[in-house]
Amino acid sequence: MADSSLRKFYGWFTALGLLVGGLVVLGYYKDEDREWKDYQRKFIQEETRRASTPPQRAFAQNMPVQIRQILLPDLNRVDRCTTCHLAVDDPSYGGYPQPLAYHPLHEQHPAERFGCTVCHRGQGRATDAADAHGNVPHWDEPMLPLRYIQASCGKCHEAADNPAAPELARGQQVFEESGCRGCHKLGGTGGVIGPALDKIGARHSPEWLKQHFLTPATVTPGSAMPPQRFAEPDLEAITLFMLSQTGETAPGYYTSMKVIPSAGVGQRLFEQKGCIGCHSIAGKGGTIGPSLDDVGLRRSPEWMIQHFREPKAVSPGTVMPQFGFTEDEARALTDFLVHLREQQVTMSLPSAMTPVERGHEAYRKYGCAGCHGPDGKGGVPNPNSKTAELVPDLMHVAEGYTKDELKDRILKGQHEITALDPKRPPPPLYMPGWAGTIKDAEVDDLVEYLFSLKPKGEESGF
Amino acid sequence: MEHSSASKDVSRRGFFQLTLGWLAAIFAVCASAVGAVRFLVPNVLFEPSLLFKMGKPEDYPDGSVTFLEEERVFLVRQGNTFRCLSAICTHLGCTVNRTGQGYNCPCHGSIFDDQGTVKSGPAPRSLEWFSVTLSKDRRLLVDKSQKVNADKYLVL
Amino acid sequence: MNGSLPKRIWKWFEHTRVGRSIFRVGLPQSNLERAQAMVSSFLLHVQPAKVNRHSLRASYSLGLGLISLYLFLILIVTGVLLMFYYVPSTDHAYNDMKDLQFVVSAGLLMRNMHRWAAHLMVIFVLLHMCRVFYTGAYKRPREFNWVLGIGLFLLTLGLSFTGYLLPWDQLAFWAITVGTNIAAYAPYIGPSLKYLMLGGNVVGQEALIRFYALHVIVLPAVAGFLIAVHLWRVRKDGGLSRPDEPGDVVQQVELSQLPTSKTYGLMELARGTTPQVGRNPEEEVFSWPHLIFRELLLFLFVVVVVLLLAIFKNAPLEELANPIHPPNPAKAPWYFLGLQELVSYSAFWGGVVVPGVLVAALVLLPYVDGKRRGVGRWFARERLVANTIFTVCLVVAVVLTIIGTLFRGPNWSWQEPWKKPPTATEGH
Repeated sequence: MADSSLRKFYGWFTALGLLVGGLVVLGYYKDEDREWKDYQRKFIQEETRRASTPPQRAFAQNMPVQIRQILLPDLNRVDRCTTCHLAVDDPSYGGYPQPLAYHPLHEQHPAERFGCTVCHRGQGRATDAADAHGNVPHWDEPMLPLRYIQASCGKCHEAADNPAAPELARGQQVFEESGCRGCHKLGGTGGVIGPALDKIGARHSPEWLKQHFLTPATVTPGSAMPPQRFAEPDLEAITLFMLSQTGETAPGYYTSMKVIPSAGVGQRLFEQKGCIGCHSIAGKGGTIGPSLDDVGLRRSPEWMIQHFREPKAVSPGTVMPQFGFTEDEARALTDFLVHLREQQVTMSLPSAMTPVERGHEAYRKYGCAGCHGPDGKGGVPNPNSKTAELVPDLMHVAEGYTKDELKDRILKGQHEITALDPKRPPPPLYMPGWAGTIKDAEVDDLVEYLFSLKPKGEESGF
Repeated sequence: MEHSSASKDVSRRGFFQLTLGWLAAIFAVCASAVGAVRFLVPNVLFEPSLLFKMGKPEDYPDGSVTFLEEERVFLVRQGNTFRCLSAICTHLGCTVNRTGQGYNCPCHGSIFDDQGTVKSGPAPRSLEWFSVTLSKDRRLLVDKSQKVNADKYLVL
Repeated sequence: MNGSLPKRIWKWFEHTRVGRSIFRVGLPQSNLERAQAMVSSFLLHVQPAKVNRHSLRASYSLGLGLISLYLFLILIVTGVLLMFYYVPSTDHAYNDMKDLQFVVSAGLLMRNMHRWAAHLMVIFVLLHMCRVFYTGAYKRPREFNWVLGIGLFLLTLGLSFTGYLLPWDQLAFWAITVGTNIAAYAPYIGPSLKYLMLGGNVVGQEALIRFYALHVIVLPAVAGFLIAVHLWRVRKDGGLSRPDEPGDVVQQVELSQLPTSKTYGLMELARGTTPQVGRNPEEEVFSWPHLIFRELLLFLFVVVVVLLLAIFKNAPLEELANPIHPPNPAKAPWYFLGLQELVSYSAFWGGVVVPGVLVAALVLLPYVDGKRRGVGRWFARERLVANTIFTVCLVVAVVLTIIGTLFRGPNWSWQEPWKKPPTATEGH
């Protein structure tokens, strides 16, 4: 290679050769120098410090520094959070600062079965804190702020019956009471004026959802939704409930956990399965089987569970059928019966309700309050509508309609709302037709209820 | 044979430059080759883990031998000692069955005793025992990458 | 001192039995050996034993063709390595990209190298084409080699486009949606072309596997083959173009004027297009080491640039591809943005006619512009018209691409990139 005319290049050759070598080393170094390795070394130090015997110390020292991941093929997830959060399953790390804290729900939701992101969201495949926690560009599912964590319980558990997620239950209650269903479908039932809410929690941040309740038009331009006035705790609860609507379904193993064996579930099952047809509580119900008021004092929980499993084996000669309850359902019913005395359960039993009461239920169920206000009192704005720019209240329908006319109006709806000022945009809210959605019997009850709204003592007639 | 003359000699500076350049370039090539191989070595596996928890000690009655289908192991409890036996026949890898006195393989008739020692049949070796320890959250932790002797127990 | 340390170690090796079995010609000591090193080597014999001095001038060719080749080689190496982790399934692809970034050693580096080398290759193939044009090196006898080059340019775009889809993120998905929709504007064959490319009507699993097959085997194999022919033609057409090539000067030579020596008469006057015609021994130097060493330096330089980019700038990865959430605006890959800008004026004229005419013009160019004036020099005066036309087209293409990249915002409306975009009201 020695040649005078090439000599001028030797310097270049050296420089470039060194640059390539240096860059390869730099690239390698940058790749090897990962955040999680530091966290693991710190953990090893801590374990060594806490070790009280030489074998324990050796064990701690020999812990390999490597990526840890939890494979969850059923949930279609891979979570690598335990690469840094190394003590989630170790109770002795309770109260430690993150990332070395013990997870308080580890016993009920072990990380090896559930992973982390199914509840906490975030980017499970990432291996550095910023990317894993997900508040980075181009990741749609950042970690839920901890105060909204109950939103995730709804993925597998029924919202209303989870004693560990009271705020979620409250959120669902606020949703039903505020009549949101009048305009929004959720789980297939509801109105069509606004969009269906089944996946709303997957697409928007908690802040967006909250702001949307307060001032819908600033967040969704052109929205017809009136601003909502909630007390702050209710606002947080309903925001959380909306967050829980992600449309994500969890498969078999996880949803079989849906039934938490709690008294609330038990009451619901009791009502659903029609136990009141044979047994009585607080004087209401059937007489074929014994009254259940004191069953908690007379029978042990184990007896009751066994009785649910196999009534004829436990009570020979009984006519109680075998219902095929799952273990958790049996436990839930048992819990309900055991606590009957303490809770003074008031049963709202369909057969025991009057038409007006049933109508009130229907009013609640179909979200009429969303437009017509709580208990028909009105107050919901409908800009530029001739009815004083409000959705009309229903207090006086008994005077303006016959029962048949009212039923007709409910079934057909009213799509044309007269505008106050033709130059302004037309009123955004209208009455949809409920034929096909509300059952015929329910409409009759609803009419009864609405007729009952007329304030007592008022002069009749216009 | 023609030789170009004095220009063939490299100056001292040229010598160092060339040497250094070549060393750096060769180093870069070797480092890249090593890097490429390291790239191909997986850091995580997407197979079922060799390290897994098998539930609480209380879940296993005294004197029981519990077969875990997915993990292909038996968990043996005697008093308050726990051991974990591989259910994979050492002949050609079928899953063995538990019998009253030990284990036998349905594929080619190998018979193992209670300790996993091969008694008859084509199996060349005894069944393997895996390490069982207690995890921090009081679960039985089996490590199939750690083979132990038949006389190693977890004692609670 | 008769050589640097590595050279001396090498010389020792090449005299061992193993060394002699592999390397039939050792490090050349004589001119014969220098010639033999090129001719008897499998890898090197595509290049001649001697090259014209002019061809070695960096200021002439800028090494652009070599740079393109080196980038192609880097892409092959990094691409093959990436194939060990990437699965072309809509369920896996995006997650595999994330895994490369987070759990594969040097995964991010490999991916970055691959992406930046790809973008650079598109740029440098284009620059190489410009150089060849401006030096008139497409003219006779190099017409067909120019056509091969245009083919290689289109293959480069095709390789980049097929690779663009593979990460299966929003950027990939919508770029290919836009790109295949532009292709669908071609008259008569457009919709069928799109259907064939996508293996269906939508960008989905079928499209992903087709693009993968094209990207990793079909297009690289065709490109590799054409590169081989391209280099072969460079040899056969007389090496790189230069100012004093034969064929420029047409001389009438009287047979009687040709010198004769005492012992030998003139045997034959060679005519024609073989590489031996018109070679000027005084102007030539041995490829080994003059060409080889320069090539090595250039390779090191390319590797340095690619490594620098890969280490300090990450290739983009957006959200998982979501067919119901188009970004606004949805943009084609950058090299097609000029085209997308044209399409925004008129789908037929901008998307079909103009690019079609341009490609046809490029392919037919050497057959239309035959006069061998100004070959071998940059911006030769004699070629003012041709150079001007080409430059205008080039500038317009670049400006359109810049507009499409920087000056088009939501709904393809005009936006100034230095001004902040209006706050998004939808979502998050």
